[in-house]
Amino acid sequence: MGLERSNIDIEPAVTDLRNRTLSRLPGDFSRLVYLASSRDCNTGKYYHDGLAFHFSQSVTSNAMALCHREIFDRLVYASLEELIEELCNYISSTDERPEEFLKSWKHLGSYRVTIPSECDELEAEVFLSNVKMALAILQTRQMPASQDEQSA
Amino acid sequence: MIQSLPYLFLGLLLLAVLGWWVWDAIIHKSTAELLTPRHLVGLRSAGARRDVGDRIFGSQDWDFVLRETPSEIHRMFQRERTVLALAWLRRTRLRTSQVMHAHVAVARKSEDLQIGMELKLALSYLLFLILCNSLVGWVWLRGPVRTRKIVGQTLQWAAQLRRAFEQLMARVDPASCRVVGTNFNHGTVRN
Repeated sequence: MGLERSNIDIEPAVTDLRNRTLSRLPGDFSRLVYLASSRDCNTGKYYHDGLAFHFSQSVTSNAMALCHREIFDRLVYASLEELIEELCNYISSTDERPEEFLKSWKHLGSYRVTIPSECDELEAEVFLSNVKMALAILQTRQMPASQDEQSA
Repeated sequence: MIQSLPYLFLGLLLLAVLGWWVWDAIIHKSTAELLTPRHLVGLRSAGARRDVGDRIFGSQDWDFVLRETPSEIHRMFQRERTVLALAWLRRTRLRTSQVMHAHVAVARKSEDLQIGMELKLALSYLLFLILCNSLVGWVWLRGPVRTRKIVGQTLQWAAQLRRAFEQLMARVDPASCRVVGTNFNHGTVRN
């Protein structure tokens, strides 16, 4: 009952966030990274100036947390093939070279910070394992291309 | 040789009883169906969260990995999924045990106990534990891809067992049932 009530309270903020911010990002992985980077790691609260201007800071943070959780759920239950596609879309949206990006993500484990605060422990493990697999698969696909570049 | 015959007979008898329980629980689905009205089953499954077990044991990713990736990735996939499958099996076992303990605590105080049903639940639970522990070993040895079918059947049965527990607890103590029923999917069952 309490949860339903609080969801009704944040619904306009969620709609606003989906329509004006998240829909402009290329794919769910980009959205996940965006939402995770809007979160203060010390407090777990999310910040969005535009949204907080129209709604309160608390509503903004709760709306962003809800969207974060929703997108994370979609990615956990997406197939490995779909996850790879999402990851490719995200890599293309950054200005980094794919091989550098893959090396850095694999080495630093940057994707670990994209997990929402309130999520099932095993779902988080499934997500991390799938991203690790996706990165490894993309690296094997990159290898022939980088070998060609070196020989040229 | 003759001295060991009684033990052999007892062992066979125990196996036959266990076999009958499996047959009764999996094929006839009697416990859960007797205790759960059909219209409630539909509502429950529609509202329930997706089970991450389906994700771990599903064949879609393995088919993709086999088709599209080199053998080193195949090995990595098997390793990763084995770790996840074992974690999931251990969690399923823990959650079922938590529900069972909660049920036992409530049943002790109840005056309206159905001995036959309680005995059936206790034996089903024992069988579930044996199967679950065997599955842990089986998955560890063979990996989740090759053990998909047997795990699937066990899980189906575990879900029925869980529903039966919830229904029994609703009869014995509705307040406790709400606590267990609400939190089961999130792993925070309280005794």
